[in-house]
Amino acid sequence: MNCIELQASLAETDDGSGLGRTSEQRAHLKTCPECSALVAELDLIASSAIELRAADEPSPRVWNSIEIALRQEGLIRPQIRQQRPSRSLLPSLGSRWAWARWALPVAAAVLITVGVYVRQHSLVQQLARDTAPAAVPNEVSDVAIAGLNDDDLLLEAAHQSPAMQAQYTDNLRRVNQYIQDAKGVVAANPNDEEARRSLMEAYQEKAMLFELAMDRSLP
Amino acid sequence: MSGRTIELVVVGAMLAGTLAAQTHKDYRFNVGPKAGVSVNNPFGSVSVKPATGNVVVINAVLYSDKVEVDNNLVGNRVEIQSHLLPGGDADSGRVDYEILVPADASITLHSSTGSLHAEKLHGDVTLEGAAATVDVRDISNAHVHVKTLNGPVTITNVQDGHVEVDSLSGEVTLTSVTGPLVQVISTSGGINYIGDFGDRGEYRLTSHSGNIEATVPGSTSADVSARSVRGEVHDDIPLQPKTHTWFPTNNGSAFWGTMGQTTMSSTVVLRSFSGKIHLRKRTSK
Repeated sequence: MNCIELQASLAETDDGSGLGRTSEQRAHLKTCPECSALVAELDLIASSAIELRAADEPSPRVWNSIEIALRQEGLIRPQIRQQRPSRSLLPSLGSRWAWARWALPVAAAVLITVGVYVRQHSLVQQLARDTAPAAVPNEVSDVAIAGLNDDDLLLEAAHQSPAMQAQYTDNLRRVNQYIQDAKGVVAANPNDEEARRSLMEAYQEKAMLFELAMDRSLP
Repeated sequence: MSGRTIELVVVGAMLAGTLAAQTHKDYRFNVGPKAGVSVNNPFGSVSVKPATGNVVVINAVLYSDKVEVDNNLVGNRVEIQSHLLPGGDADSGRVDYEILVPADASITLHSSTGSLHAEKLHGDVTLEGAAATVDVRDISNAHVHVKTLNGPVTITNVQDGHVEVDSLSGEVTLTSVTGPLVQVISTSGGINYIGDFGDRGEYRLTSHSGNIEATVPGSTSADVSARSVRGEVHDDIPLQPKTHTWFPTNNGSAFWGTMGQTTMSSTVVLRSFSGKIHLRKRTSK
């Protein structure tokens, strides 16, 4: 028996206690440290899972009902092999290794659930981004709290030449867009330190715009 | 008298009138080591070059009698202010300055529309101007701080500098600028860096919508990360990719890797929201 054959045989014959192992399996485990270590880990997991199995195993009537429904739908057919004591295609939870046979479908179900949740969560975030204009009052108030009121800037720029007024108005629009974009990235990646720094730099740009407008006006 | 002659006479008369309206003023201050020089000139240019010895020499050209030059020496600091008088505007209030300062002096220059120029100094340099064009060159071991609204900024040959440039929409060009910190923040202006990023410095070039281009020689050692939220990122130089990154680097909008010797490398951060980022290799002529 080689390693592959041993690992394939474990799921069918091993109940985790080591008592049901064949002489071939035992002979291979004596000579193969990798398989021996693997089996030792599996035994540990199996022994730890006993209590979990006892607590979570549904009534046999549940499995029977599911099997009957699947047969009626034609999704499963009667087993041909007769050597197994159970004819059900659904893995029994009667053996100590049964939890491992259920691992794949359970994992798939968990993944699907997580996927649906993440999808819904991202949709909410996308919706929030798409409805950004509704959040504008809050964002404007952020800047107003910092003393960066757009009206003040435009009032100050009104003292400048028409060309410079246009420059200030245009740059005000651009820097506000900068802040909006930076906020969007921070909202999408709250733990991104670079994104936070970009937002700070965007505010810094706006502060500089005010500084330039107010510091250099004609007397 | 021919038409050509009349034309020349008229042009000459206009030129003479303009020259007659200009006034030259000279000021001279003796200062100590590491003096401070501050110039606030709303309309007009300011050029600063090194003097011989601890002296500040100011040559001012006033374009009308609607402006005057206020000057003051306070301790080791020289303060110059172009003072607009009633009726003064951007044309009549113009003053152009040529200033010599000790090479170790710290200078602060303000202008709204003129050009600002400083060269061959090793004291701190602070230049601010809305539409002013800024040109700084041959500075060493000093802080260089520049703020502009839309005026273009050119900084050339700064060694061991602590360089910070903020520009809303002006183009920023750095050539052979190295130091512990080189930082450029722009809202919509492009940023162009030409040089080798020195060694062990931090270089941050950030623009919201402007393009960022860094052209470096093949011998450069740097840890380069580039990221554009909505723009493209191009890398002409093979980088040793980082195995551990905190942002995705596989979709053409970001890369992060090392070039040259890691032990000598500077940290280079290139960031944009919608501008393109391009790291290119300088080709030898």
